[in-house]
Amino acid sequence: MRIFWIITWHSIRRHLTYRAAAWAGLITNIFFGILRAAVLLALLGARAELAGVTAQDAITFTALTQAIIAYLSIFGWYELMNSVHTGQVSGDLLKPLGLFRYWLAVDLGRAGVALLLRGCTIMLIYAAFVPITTPPTPAHWLALAVSLSLAWYISFAWRFIVNLAAFWSPNAAGVGRFAFGITWVLSGFFLPLRFYPDWFIALCNATPFPAMVNTVIEIYLGLVHGQAMLYLLAQQVVWAIALYIAAQLILRAGIRRLVIQGG
Amino acid sequence: MDTPLIQVTDLAKHYQVSRRRPGFWGALKTFVAGGHTLVRAVDQISFSVARGELVGYLGPNGAGKSTTIKMLTGLLVPSAGELVVDGFVPWRARTQYVAHIGAVFGQRTTLWWDLPVMDSFELLRAIYKVPPARFAHNLAEFRELLELDGFLNTPVRALSLGQRMRADFCAAMLHNPRLLFLDEPTVGLDVVAKERIRQFIAHINAEHGTTVLLTTHDLQDVERLCRRVLIIDQGRLLYDGELAHLQTRFGGQRELVVDFSEVYTNVDIPDAQVLELEGQRAVYAFQRDGISASELIGRISARYRVRDLSVREPQIEATIRRIYEERLLDAPASAPITPFPAFKIQESP
Amino acid sequence: MFATLAFHWQIYRRLIGAQLRAQMQYRVSMLFEIAATALIMSLFFVSLALVMQRLENIGGWNLAQIAFLWGMVETGFGLMDMFFSGFDPAFFGRRVRQGTFDELLLRPVSVTVQVFGDQFVIRRLGRIIQGLAILTFAFSTGDIAWTAAKIAYLPLVLAGLVLYFGGLFIVGATITFWTVESIEAINVFTYGGSEMLAYPMHIYPDILRRTFTYILPAALLNYYPALYILDLPDPMSLPGWLRFVAPLAGGLLFAGALAFWRFGVRHYHSTGS
Repeated sequence: MRIFWIITWHSIRRHLTYRAAAWAGLITNIFFGILRAAVLLALLGARAELAGVTAQDAITFTALTQAIIAYLSIFGWYELMNSVHTGQVSGDLLKPLGLFRYWLAVDLGRAGVALLLRGCTIMLIYAAFVPITTPPTPAHWLALAVSLSLAWYISFAWRFIVNLAAFWSPNAAGVGRFAFGITWVLSGFFLPLRFYPDWFIALCNATPFPAMVNTVIEIYLGLVHGQAMLYLLAQQVVWAIALYIAAQLILRAGIRRLVIQGG
Repeated sequence: MDTPLIQVTDLAKHYQVSRRRPGFWGALKTFVAGGHTLVRAVDQISFSVARGELVGYLGPNGAGKSTTIKMLTGLLVPSAGELVVDGFVPWRARTQYVAHIGAVFGQRTTLWWDLPVMDSFELLRAIYKVPPARFAHNLAEFRELLELDGFLNTPVRALSLGQRMRADFCAAMLHNPRLLFLDEPTVGLDVVAKERIRQFIAHINAEHGTTVLLTTHDLQDVERLCRRVLIIDQGRLLYDGELAHLQTRFGGQRELVVDFSEVYTNVDIPDAQVLELEGQRAVYAFQRDGISASELIGRISARYRVRDLSVREPQIEATIRRIYEERLLDAPASAPITPFPAFKIQESP
Repeated sequence: MFATLAFHWQIYRRLIGAQLRAQMQYRVSMLFEIAATALIMSLFFVSLALVMQRLENIGGWNLAQIAFLWGMVETGFGLMDMFFSGFDPAFFGRRVRQGTFDELLLRPVSVTVQVFGDQFVIRRLGRIIQGLAILTFAFSTGDIAWTAAKIAYLPLVLAGLVLYFGGLFIVGATITFWTVESIEAINVFTYGGSEMLAYPMHIYPDILRRTFTYILPAALLNYYPALYILDLPDPMSLPGWLRFVAPLAGGLLFAGALAFWRFGVRHYHSTGS
């Protein structure tokens, strides 16, 4: 367990050094946030709300989604893939932690820095300039903390699985772009899931993607309460376990392939 | 043939190096406000190279070697001084000028990474406007010399380092450049591959009359290929002359190994220092300007019974290291010497 | 003059041709990638269309009208991304950082031509196909009152978009001569610009709309031409001729970017870093 935290700590230190990139990323995230907010407000038009989402909620939606882009690596994550392509992975496989937990520790450090520095800054800047919604009760705050953690774990497991494609294909980046593109839309990142037709919402809910973004939004905006909220959290737990198992199985198959083909 | 191919007069390159400000706004400030400290990467150097010469250009990292080469190849505009190569002022007429030179970098390829070697050659043929007949003739010659046939249709990324270097050499020579710049051409290669490259360099210099300026840290390259060397350090030219002369002047102490016919406990000789004395063998060190080898041998054989002896010359590597470290060559005093780390900025931008 | 031009064209063609051949070594995976790109990029428009089933318009524009803006921008950006990928700040910045830009300067051809020929990503066809598909949707559902002038203007608008985004790529590439750390901020103008132009300009906050009309004339490239082709009124009531200057605005930005590029290359010659 100690090794896990050492790797996490290294990862934190590494990500704290990218200061210029952090500033550039912050500016980019905020600029896109403004554009997206304008589109959502124009979509809502003169309506007071749609499916429980008010204009203020819509602005908050863009703030929140922009704030967690870096935290969840929503635009994609290719590090493991690159390590497979460069052969670095053979060395990583020898580490006592196992490949999944090794990268989990690395990603924890990265995500932690991204949430605190990027995520919180974006939310604070929004809060300073426009009225935004905040979670309505302490229970929602608590649920938000749990949900954000689970969302990260699920998103990591999913990104890990996508990256494993590199064990089979020399062109896994294409697979990645495709998979991460789907994640954008089906997770409720691109537009709030509640705005879609019912059949599409049902389709999304059959996948793990809403557990990465939409659940966090529903809880933050106070669109769910009590049992419904617990149900969403339970769903996240189930997806976390399911994706963990899937990742382990695929990883094992990938390693077998690597061993047989000699990398 | 009287005009030299390269004529460098009081060439200098100064950089305005700004103290790097951290962060995005810092970069923006640097972008707007510009630099502050003056760094003399190359400080008033002069030399000339005649057609057909093969000259070694030596110096420690950050000495100003690559800055000089960048000016000679037209990549960098000098701050002061004059520079004429083959009738061109390199930076003024870059595109015309570079058609007459070639360059090989050991650290990286100038070929297209994803293309088969032959495709790269074809592209270069078009870029350098090499007439088809000459191209065919050159290709046939270098193909055989460099043994390229096995991998002409392999993408560059799939080549071994040795193969890649051979392909790079061929690429650099396809347009018959009059002047070839070589930067660490044997770095990372094994002994056999190094020798093959050295043979090729010697060949093109001898047979094609190509003038070669060789930058390297591998002094075996220099010993094998160059009669003349230029040594630069801290932006100034420290030495310009024959390699052999460098050795006799700065070779420092030589060693004399003596095998006696019997065991002595004291073998001291004036003007020489005993480095080792073990059994019947002794090693003396003596200064080149203190005593001659024959004189020393005379003195020893007058006192002791000698069975065999040999003189050991210092390695060229040791000599050059001594020149760098002990600053044996005094550069002409002009501006104060810039501190070393400042060059690092230019070496790895 | 003509000989130089012909020579440059020949070199450019050869460089691109070599790229195509190299990428075509993996034909199947290339086709798969093109299809996947087209599919995934269309997913964004499809999901917007789904949402617009319930929320019928964006700032008063219906789906077909939005599709026109979206299709033009995607096609234009996709074309640009294919022809200007040598200048892609992320790609070009790597060249500068690794010092491999020097190799281009060692060859007796205009360095601009070489950078144009440096990368040609066939995969981008996917984005272009997607853009054209959305445009087709806009034309078939939008009952546009076509005239000969409108049909003639359409490719010019597209050319304007390509030049505009290409200019931004060149500016971004040039900035990497000074700093490579902050290139992500350039995305605000390139990718941010393409995102912004996909929707009607009047939905944005005033300061953004003004900035991107008067300072960086993005609005003139897509929104104003769309007002003309779709016969829509200008909520800002600016002069009518603004609808017809798209290629000019794109061309001017491109020319400015090229001048900045030349300045950047000269700067590189004097500092080498």
